Amino acid sequence: MTRRPVDTGDPDRLYTITGGRSRADDAFDLVTLIVSESAPTSGMQSEHTRILDLCRHPTAVVEVAAEMRLPITVVRILLGDLLAMGRITARHPPAPRSLAALPDSALLKEVLHGLRNL
Amino acid sequence: MPLPAPHSQRRSAPLAPTSSAVPVTVLLLSAAAAGTAAVTAPAAARTWTVVTAVAAWCCVAATVLVCGLLLRRARRTAAATDAEVARLTAQSAQRSAESAHMVNVTVPALVNRLRDGARAKDALQQVTLPSDAQLRRTMESFGSALEQVVQYAAATDAERLRAREELAQVTEEVAEVTRTVLPDMVGRLQEGNSADTVLAGWEWPSSSLLRAPVEAFVRELARSERRAATAQAASAKALSRVQAKTVSMLADLREMQERHGEEIFGDLLKLDHSTSQLGLMTDRLALLMGGRSSRAWNKPIVMESILRGAVGRIAAYQRVRLHCSTNAAISGFAAEGVMHLIAELMDNAANFSPPIDEVHVYVDEHSAGLVVTIEDSGLKMADAAMRHAEEAVAGHMTDLASLPGTRLGLAVVGGLAVKYGISVNYRPSSRGGTGVVVLLPRQLLAQRRDAAPQERPHRPAATTPASGSARAATGSERPTTGATAMPGEASRTGEASRTGKASGTGGPPAPAVRPAAAVLPSASTPAPAAPRAAASPPTSSEVRGRDASSRPAAATPNGLPVRAPGRTMAEAEQERQQRRAAADSPTPGGAPGPTPPAARDAGTRFGAFHSGRTSAGEAGPSGTGTRPEPPAAR
Repeated sequence: MTRRPVDTGDPDRLYTITGGRSRADDAFDLVTLIVSESAPTSGMQSEHTRILDLCRHPTAVVEVAAEMRLPITVVRILLGDLLAMGRITARHPPAPRSLAALPDSALLKEVLHGLRNL
Repeated sequence: MPLPAPHSQRRSAPLAPTSSAVPVTVLLLSAAAAGTAAVTAPAAARTWTVVTAVAAWCCVAATVLVCGLLLRRARRTAAATDAEVARLTAQSAQRSAESAHMVNVTVPALVNRLRDGARAKDALQQVTLPSDAQLRRTMESFGSALEQVVQYAAATDAERLRAREELAQVTEEVAEVTRTVLPDMVGRLQEGNSADTVLAGWEWPSSSLLRAPVEAFVRELARSERRAATAQAASAKALSRVQAKTVSMLADLREMQERHGEEIFGDLLKLDHSTSQLGLMTDRLALLMGGRSSRAWNKPIVMESILRGAVGRIAAYQRVRLHCSTNAAISGFAAEGVMHLIAELMDNAANFSPPIDEVHVYVDEHSAGLVVTIEDSGLKMADAAMRHAEEAVAGHMTDLASLPGTRLGLAVVGGLAVKYGISVNYRPSSRGGTGVVVLLPRQLLAQRRDAAPQERPHRPAATTPASGSARAATGSERPTTGATAMPGEASRTGEASRTGKASGTGGPPAPAVRPAAAVLPSASTPAPAAPRAAASPPTSSEVRGRDASSRPAAATPNGLPVRAPGRTMAEAEQERQQRRAAADSPTPGGAPGPTPPAARDAGTRFGAFHSGRTSAGEAGPSGTGTRPEPPAAR
């Protein structure tokens, strides 16, 4: 096998970012909106700084993850840290009050059908 | 020698006058006595008396005569004996004189002559030989014997001198071989010359007893050198394969971590950790064997990443607390070495402290460079152990022969410290254990740190229009390009602009406005930083800040790409294409030309997200009209 002359990735592995944790608490799902509550301070983990920078305006978890190019699980762990420190707040999207608020399946099927016909 | 001759002369001298006088006196006295008796005798008896007297006198006379004759004969005999004695005495005197002469004069002279090298015959002729035949023979045999002895002695002497000379020569040769030749040969062997080359280069002395041993020595040494070199090269080669495999495994694992969900994420992390530890061990061996590190970085690595990269390679990484507040970055060429060095020291600290205690790592910035302090709270090292460790990390143990059986890591630390000019010092820690102070000199640091604070607030705003839309455009491909983050980003950006341009002609309305977002930063002249930021490695904000402020044109006047330090050529090429695409595209949508790239306001983002969440048919907020985020990717 050939060896690449240089490495282009990052030297830090994911478990060093999460401190060895691999499970996030369930406070966040993919579309939870995150808003940072304070400015980053020096001495913080750079990912935390980055998240606080990113979430100056409400940002979804999945967007944060994409922006930081980290797996969702890692981002959720990091967000859990920040939430525990009180530096962010999480806003869950308003859940539909009832089933009636959801588009009915017929409409969805129609949309799907239309999409396939494109 | 006392001679008896005078004594006998003295005895015979008074005898000589008496020899004739005594018989005559006796005859006269006896004749007178007989006449007296004849005269005085009575007449009657006269005749008888006369006859008796005459007869008696005759007897006396005869006796005297006989006595006289006997005496004379005895005297003659005595004289002859005396003469003989005198002759013999003289002879013996002569002999003894000769002997004395021979002993005192002749023999020394003969000895001298023979010693001077004359032959015995000539020497015997030159000296006065004694008259006595036996003495002469004695002298001759003595001379010849002496000659032999002298010759033998001379021969022996010559032999001895020759032997001494040879000995001196051999001694000198040995000394020279020991002093200069052998070290020279050993040095040349270690330089990699073959035994024959080395042996041919030496002028052999004429009488070389040393040739065989030296040759055997050199050949044996050459063979062991070759054996060591071969073993080292073979193991370095084998290790490099293991290293490559490890690196590819790490990349694969990272990709899997992106792809798979939470259920096996923990297992993947565990595997990742084991592989990283394996990588550290392999790198350690490879560095000892003269090989290279498994990884090399082409961009500056910020100190936090350095520390985390290091801590991720040791077993007890959860016990290590990192305290890093600096923004400094290590230049790419030294990043891997520094990482390995710190990892070894952390490993050492973690291994030699109680498993419940933490190891603290501090980074301070000083004018001399970065100071990394690794403190454990284990037992204090013994003086000897600390001295040993100091010696090891000072790089004195470069030879594999002096390698300790254990703690190979410290020897590697020494090598790396010498290579990069890093100083590593041990000292007692204030926490009770041992502290290691690592001074990373300033030339290892990447050169820009001043622009970072000013850049930071603007950075997300400046980068997100391009990279955000690019991510959105290719969002479905994301998981496959996880491990190669930086080029992935660049290619994604380029792809976004290309797809945007292609679909701008006949696509649905939502994609039609996408090129606006992609092309916007490049099209707007006052923001050269934005495309650069999108294409640059996003790990360190400082890199971006420096590059954005100091980078010259990204292409030559003739259109060839310019590669800035720390960037790959492909990256520059992509950026050039992107620029060209920006120049060609006739501002699609017409809106975004003068809009500053920093205008990522809350409404836009939230609206984009919201429009993605809601169904496609509903209209988004007013902000989405200019640069909507594509809704389908989520």
